[in-house]
Amino acid sequence: MDAIRRSLLGQMVRLSAGAALIPFSSLAQAGINQQPARHEGDPTKRYGMLVDLRQCIGCQACTVSCHIENAAPLGQFRTTVSQYEVQHQESGELATFMLPRLCNHCENPPCVPVCPVEATYQQRDGIVVVDSDRCVGCAYCVNACPYDARFINQRTQTADKCTFCAHRLEAGLLPACVESCVGGARVIGDMRDPQSQISRMIHEHRDALMVLQPEKHTLPQVFYLGMDERFTTRPTAEPVALEVLDPHGQEMGYEFHH
Amino acid sequence: MNSTIELLAPRYDIAWYPWAVQYFFMIAVSYASLWLAAPALVLGKKAWLPTARLALIACVSTTLVAPVALLADLHQPLRFWHFYAYANSHSWMSIGSVVLPLYLVSVLGLAWLAWRPALQAQRSTPGLSGMIATWLSLGSGITPRALVAVVGLAALGLSSGIMLYTGAELAIVKARPLWNTVWLPPMLATTGFIAASGLVLVLNRVSRLCSQTAIRQMLYVLLVTCALAGLIAISWFLDGVNAHVGSVAAALESVSHSDSWRNTALWGGITGLALFAAVLFLLTRPTLRQKHARVVLTSSQPALFAWAWLLGLVAIHMGWMFRWVVLMDVQHVARNSAGFHHYGIPAGSSGILGIVGTFGLWLAAILLIELFIPWRQAQQGGLIATPTHATQDASTHSLTAKKGASSHA
Repeated sequence: MDAIRRSLLGQMVRLSAGAALIPFSSLAQAGINQQPARHEGDPTKRYGMLVDLRQCIGCQACTVSCHIENAAPLGQFRTTVSQYEVQHQESGELATFMLPRLCNHCENPPCVPVCPVEATYQQRDGIVVVDSDRCVGCAYCVNACPYDARFINQRTQTADKCTFCAHRLEAGLLPACVESCVGGARVIGDMRDPQSQISRMIHEHRDALMVLQPEKHTLPQVFYLGMDERFTTRPTAEPVALEVLDPHGQEMGYEFHH
Repeated sequence: MNSTIELLAPRYDIAWYPWAVQYFFMIAVSYASLWLAAPALVLGKKAWLPTARLALIACVSTTLVAPVALLADLHQPLRFWHFYAYANSHSWMSIGSVVLPLYLVSVLGLAWLAWRPALQAQRSTPGLSGMIATWLSLGSGITPRALVAVVGLAALGLSSGIMLYTGAELAIVKARPLWNTVWLPPMLATTGFIAASGLVLVLNRVSRLCSQTAIRQMLYVLLVTCALAGLIAISWFLDGVNAHVGSVAAALESVSHSDSWRNTALWGGITGLALFAAVLFLLTRPTLRQKHARVVLTSSQPALFAWAWLLGLVAIHMGWMFRWVVLMDVQHVARNSAGFHHYGIPAGSSGILGIVGTFGLWLAAILLIELFIPWRQAQQGGLIATPTHATQDASTHSLTAKKGASSHA
């Protein structure tokens, strides 16, 4: 079907039956699903992170230190570094692309308004946290986060996520991932302070910075320097590891098919 | 980028378990069967009484079981009171937590009013059912028809709230493009009606009520809802076929990259069309009339209607599978990593045991109703003088599967 005809059909549908659903759609998106007021945290600060991918060597020191600092259960991570083998389309040259992932502490976090008990909220300093004493473990936020930054902690049975190590920031320490980063790729700081390293780097590299899934309008506050645009959305890559299951469907291990 | 290989990515578990499918299925059958019971119970249409009686037990049993499944899907079920202590008007789930108990109370109220005249008539029965009838009927006063209609209307209003919130809860999730479409809520409601009319057909058979009127009405509802589901599916597809992102694009990508998604899409499409065609076939067979009484009856509606419960099973399957695909399969589509997440249904309570257990609980609920409630005499208020006369409703054509045709003739 040619594009014009498809477009026409699409328009027809939107004009007819779709028109009835538009008010409902806007109500669902805007009226009810709006951001609740922020509370706690220092309103004079806005924390953010800049990840300089040029410095990342994929050593996973951040993954491990975060795991230990925040006592995440085995197999569950608040931050990880995705690794891809990429091939140059013309020269055929191979390279490894590293992509550290963590909570983006979005300016418009989709995980916050969905929480039915306001257990997850955004502090006035921008950090998105979870009150695990209040969380009912409905996992709505886990589904609502486009970045897979949240999980249900197997031990606490409540939602768990990166907090920029808010407990360490309060004590004047750097987050575990930043402190352990070998190449100094992770830069955290107050973006309201023009003299902070992150503010200076954002100012310097403004045009080169990218965020993940910008089309979702979540306004992520983790910025990537040295990023390839094709990795800002779900990469069209082949998974290398296949899970190997025993006859009972239990996981035995992994098999690499390359 | 075809040469990109993902070397390292964590494995992400699913967040909502099959309990969620059970909840969405049970609550959809519940609100849809309430609407099927409405013509008789709210509007007082006598011709719909057999359907209403069946739909009401379907509605009550699923309304009782659905919240159990919902509670079980919470990782901290004992904290359910937090929903009320810290209600959040920004969240569709929180709104749902307020609507759901009100809806449950309204459904139980409607059922009690509809069953009360028959319960009053059953008080003299010896044994436990007499005792329960005495206890449940709460006095000998007449049940006003207007009250049944008013409570019914309230229940219908609240059921619309359930339809809206269950649909919107999924449709606002931008992180899952397959859910993020305005066409999902109407499709959930429509497939709910398909499943509910299927359940009424099955209950009509297993309860031996075998009302032909109910079968015909349910087949008409199936015909309309199947056509509607088809229209919604086509509209959804045309609405998004041009877009590079969004629900349709995500669906096309999943179908083109996964055999299992391809099979699911084919299975859903073929089953839907087959169900529609079979219902149309049944409804267009020659109707049995007095003058045809001596003609061989195998090709006429009454004989074929005896098998309509099989279509009911297919309809239930459609309603359940749609929810399985929407809630479980969509969670397997990776958001940030390559391919699809592996998910094997665990045997325990978060998997197969949960699914079987929910259906078992539903069976227990419906058996308890069958044992102690004279649901076959449900009506729009009033009084029943003697229980035996109540079964002789003019609109009920008793028809058993074996000798239905002769009794009709």
